[in-house]
Amino acid sequence: MLRYIFKVNNPKGVIGLNRRNIEFIYPHNQRKYYNLADDKVKSKMILHENNIACARTYAIIDRISQIKSKWSELQNQQSLVIKPARGCGGEGIKILKKGEDGQWQSSGRNITDNQIFQHITSIISGLFSMASNDVCLIEECIVPHSFFAEIYDEGVPDFRIITLKGKPLMAMLRMPTSKSDGKANLHQKGVGIGVNMKYGTLTQVFDGKNYSNHHPDNTARVNGKKIPYWFTMVQLAKKTAKAFPLEYLGIDLVIDKVKGPQIMEVNVRPGLGIQLVNKCGLQSTLS
Amino acid sequence: MNVPKQFKFILVGLCLLAVASIVYKTNLLSKNRNSFGADESYLITYRYFFKTDTAKTFIKTYLPKNNPRQQISGQKSVMPNTVHFSTSADGPNIKGNWICEAQNTYESVSYSFLFKGKGQVFGLPENFKPHPEGMETYLSATENIQVFASPIDTLAKSLREGIDSDKGTIQSLFNYVHAIPSAPIITLTDAVSALERNEASCNGKSRLFVALARNLGYPARIKGGIILTESNKRTSHAWAELFVNGVWVPFDALNGHFAYLPANYLELHEGDAFLIAHSPGIQFDYSYEIRKQESLPLLNEEAKEVEKVTAFSLWGLVRNKSISKKNLFLLLMLPLGGLAVALLRNIVGIRTFGVFLPVLIAFSLLETGFTVGLALFLFLILFVGLISHPFDSMGLLHTPKLVISLTLMVLVMTLGNYFGVSFGITWLSSLTLFPTIILTISAERFSKLIVEDGFQKATGTLLQTLLAVGVCFLLFSIKGLDAILILFPELLLLVITASMLLGRYIGLRWTELLRFQPLLNSKLA
Repeated sequence: MLRYIFKVNNPKGVIGLNRRNIEFIYPHNQRKYYNLADDKVKSKMILHENNIACARTYAIIDRISQIKSKWSELQNQQSLVIKPARGCGGEGIKILKKGEDGQWQSSGRNITDNQIFQHITSIISGLFSMASNDVCLIEECIVPHSFFAEIYDEGVPDFRIITLKGKPLMAMLRMPTSKSDGKANLHQKGVGIGVNMKYGTLTQVFDGKNYSNHHPDNTARVNGKKIPYWFTMVQLAKKTAKAFPLEYLGIDLVIDKVKGPQIMEVNVRPGLGIQLVNKCGLQSTLS
Repeated sequence: MNVPKQFKFILVGLCLLAVASIVYKTNLLSKNRNSFGADESYLITYRYFFKTDTAKTFIKTYLPKNNPRQQISGQKSVMPNTVHFSTSADGPNIKGNWICEAQNTYESVSYSFLFKGKGQVFGLPENFKPHPEGMETYLSATENIQVFASPIDTLAKSLREGIDSDKGTIQSLFNYVHAIPSAPIITLTDAVSALERNEASCNGKSRLFVALARNLGYPARIKGGIILTESNKRTSHAWAELFVNGVWVPFDALNGHFAYLPANYLELHEGDAFLIAHSPGIQFDYSYEIRKQESLPLLNEEAKEVEKVTAFSLWGLVRNKSISKKNLFLLLMLPLGGLAVALLRNIVGIRTFGVFLPVLIAFSLLETGFTVGLALFLFLILFVGLISHPFDSMGLLHTPKLVISLTLMVLVMTLGNYFGVSFGITWLSSLTLFPTIILTISAERFSKLIVEDGFQKATGTLLQTLLAVGVCFLLFSIKGLDAILILFPELLLLVITASMLLGRYIGLRWTELLRFQPLLNSKLA
């Protein structure tokens, strides 16, 4: 009876949350280092120290009194991103661009300095991070490579590479869809596209239920499409994995139009959906 | 399962320890098993105060006996030297007699005993077998039970009319007598006057019921005793019994117990008699002091061997009143409930609000009742969702916002309590401090989860939490589990072992089997 319940046919070596926690996270990631990945400011400091390509940091604001002076120093930028260091679910992120009249704009609408100050104050007060206070990070705005627009033209797509002890195990490309409100997360109606790590090509598209060969909003075939800079990205992921005292990581990257592959962020508890996207269990990538 | 070596030693050690201790104790207990299985237990003290007369002064009362639904133990009689106590048989009953030789003195005597009782439901067949011989006493008329008086006769026949089963007839008699308005009548009410006045106390009602039953040829008798509740009281109680297929079946037409006797009925005597008799003309007062006792169904506390078991259990804590049985049970259930939730989370794969919160919610439901508690819980959650909405748009910080919703929630719950008490709506007033706090915390957790995970996922988590709550509730409702946990607290060592094994479980959760279905299906190459 017990046998019947626990004996599962698992030819592809799919791992579940139990195995991920016991065999991947606990022995390889020490809890005291979690905040190096969870806190975007701390992870950026590590990336900068190791000269790993990532968005330039324009300002870090941790006190409300600094807001005005730091903001005035940023006035010669043309575009920037304001984010909370410990935000969750992408909340509190604002992309600002200068309009033709030199006025700051957010989502195509003019935004006053006061509104910006208020937003930064909210971030520092912890409004987006379930905490009593947080740090505000202002950084360079990455312009996605045209490769992404060829598949789908909106939102913020990124690559996710899973590494164990510095070795990349599996990767996928996460894409927003017309239903996902600009977000690329699988459980927010984004799609995942599998990656053939050996050849640096895309494979099937997975929307959370079904597989196909094209993005749901674009009929062009994706399966087999070549990924630009793929091997640079793998090298970048390896370098990043080495720079952190954490051995099991989900590394998020994006390709900038001009600067090429950039590290976006690092996760200590990467999700397991990537196995579905690649039709392959993580256990089988270990051998 | 993947279990490292040092683990195995601890596991085997803990298991052996627990199992050895349990086997030892069960062995002792089984030799001294108390198969009675009482539902309730009371310590009763009769107290009599009187002034003696010039001649010998006597007091007589009925003393309880053991029978299949009540057990009497620890009888103790306390009295001054001048009083002599003896017991004697009085037909099927036992009487206690106090006789005092001293003259013109004030005396007080007491008699106490421990009562353990079970509620008993009797199944009645549609038709009864003819009664055996020798039942004449239970069919004949007495001074106060006028079986053949014409109003009784007419009523009995009319109540039977059109009913073709014995059970139906008895039910019809019972319903009639039960429907008579009850009144606390102190003077003696016989069967006919109970009928004519159309109001009666327990005595009048049971006499009328017996008279009606006897009139139709069913052997019947009066039973006397005391309804036990934690109190000092002076009232005794009377009910009736019918002889059905070799068994005396109880009927209490005052309290509406049809072929049923609750656990807290102390049976003292059969026959239509007064509970106390004393020398005529003396100053006399009395009271029954009744104290509810905590009891464990498995335990026969009189046996010496059992003390060895209870010494290594937590029963001593309850007996010394250091902790109430209920609170101790809740405490011991916490790990077991936690284990159940852990199993649900790690093997089944459901998401819950924390680990112990479902256990605590299940505890609160024990107090409010399952459906009422669940409805209240859902209402509170909706309420929090609705009231926190306007505050969300004000851009308030998270913590102060929570304080606001909690405050409003507590206000609503106290209001509910107030209305419940003032309008006598029991389910509204069932919210005591503990459920209020637990339900409030859970509602707060849910509203926080909506912010973190979005409404859809949070609702999913809520439903799965309720599933876990249901499982815990079922677990807590297992009868006798409290006794087992209190007598065998070493079971908690097994909880630790089970958790250690579960802690190393690396298999896929059942929900993951669904999630990864496409990869587990071997056809998909």
